Amino acid sequence: MGMPVIDLKNISVKYRLAKDKPKTLQEYIIRRIKFKKIEYNDFWALKGISLEFTKGKATGIIGKNGAGKSTLLKVIAGVLKPVSGKISINGKIAPLIELNAGFDRELTGIENIFLNASLLGYTRKEIKRCIDKIIEFSELEEFIYSPLRSYSSGMISRLGFSIATELNPDILIIDEALAVGDEHFKRKCKERILNFKNKGATILFVSHDMDEIIEICDNVLWLEQGRIYIHDTPKIVVGEYLKHGKCQ
Amino acid sequence: MNGFKNEIKEIIRYNGLLHNLIIRDIKVRYKRSMLGFFWVMLHPLLIMLILNVMFSKVFNIGKGSYSVYILSGIIIWNFFSQGTTNAMDSFRTNNELIRKVYFPRAVLPISVITSSLIHFVFSLVPLFIIIVLTNTPISSKIIILPITIVPVLLFALGISLIISVLNVYFHDTRYIYEVLIMAWMYATPIFYPASIVSGKLEIIIRLNPFYYFLDSFRTALYLDNPLFITHLIFGFLFAVFAFIFGLLIYAKNKDKIVYYL
Repeated sequence: MGMPVIDLKNISVKYRLAKDKPKTLQEYIIRRIKFKKIEYNDFWALKGISLEFTKGKATGIIGKNGAGKSTLLKVIAGVLKPVSGKISINGKIAPLIELNAGFDRELTGIENIFLNASLLGYTRKEIKRCIDKIIEFSELEEFIYSPLRSYSSGMISRLGFSIATELNPDILIIDEALAVGDEHFKRKCKERILNFKNKGATILFVSHDMDEIIEICDNVLWLEQGRIYIHDTPKIVVGEYLKHGKCQ
Repeated sequence: MNGFKNEIKEIIRYNGLLHNLIIRDIKVRYKRSMLGFFWVMLHPLLIMLILNVMFSKVFNIGKGSYSVYILSGIIIWNFFSQGTTNAMDSFRTNNELIRKVYFPRAVLPISVITSSLIHFVFSLVPLFIIIVLTNTPISSKIIILPITIVPVLLFALGISLIISVLNVYFHDTRYIYEVLIMAWMYATPIFYPASIVSGKLEIIIRLNPFYYFLDSFRTALYLDNPLFITHLIFGFLFAVFAFIFGLLIYAKNKDKIVYYL
């Protein structure tokens, strides 16, 4: 075991679901005047999660929709602040951003590389150093000078993947982002992820594709209603998960 | 206080993002227009022309050219009103990013205001052209012109932090602000001299930070005003107050807005 790159201690995340949320100021004021309390339902997306992620390991995260997979990734990426618990992270994180979010359709591929990479916290100098390799891996060639609105969705995700991995982050977060792109590029991505791992990066991988999980991950985390259900080797967890799925 | 310092450090660490967001804003805005960035200079000139035709016989502004008076007012006002109106939506239009990637959220409204500032600097070009064309003598205080813009910038940053947060919780904010900014414009001596306002209405002018901002700017540019320093200080007081208030509102809500987007 190496040193923990990500250390989560007793993490809980709560979503407040108002029974009916006042959306306008007017409604809000009327409610306040009438002294009507807004009622909330608490929904615990994560409850008391304690985990360590070590260097050079890939962790698969599986579970049903709403089990807390994406919330866990968001907490690690710093997007959500947990209501309780402690997180410590050593290293640079790159989340593979889903389609469109980190891109601007009117800008060219190159301009989008700068925009997207700076969103991940890289300086313009660091980006300039890697830009040729990013373009090469994305296989976009002359398209790189065209605005993104002329790209196909597969091309955009190729660009996204190239940016996130070429900049050599310490921690790579992949949230079902491998689902897009053709077979050839998918294979290339997998190779790169394995390569990445061998170089000592930590990988968090959410997927519903169990074959991919077994192929890439060293250990698998099964989340169920915001808690850790099983955390073990891929074979054991995936085996249980598939059995469980059949029972239902 | 410590959290405050860390947040400012984070914003500085993400200066690359700020840079790229500003480039995006400027590139995208003019990408498909024929005159492109030239509009930054043309727009205030055209507005000035309209106001000049309509009001030049109505108001007597005393010393100096009416064109210079209006144009100097318009470009300061546009910097603020367009900047804050765009910044107000910055959290909402970038909600996907906020929900997926970490970065100091304030970078979004700050980038909008900075790009507005860049537009403002370019709109100084037509202003100086008009100054030359109308033979308006430039004041000796011209070297401190940049200092008179600092309070406007701080004020715009403060207001945009407040309304961009409010706009996440209450979608009415933008409609209220649009009306407010309209009323505010008429309460600001942009195309009329402040001296025509008297009696009860005078208090409104005196409480309007833009009275002080515009007066300092115009005095540094071409007017004489014995109250210059006092007005500059008043402007700074308003600005610093709004800026600190904006920072407090932002700091208190920065981790919460993600749940409301």
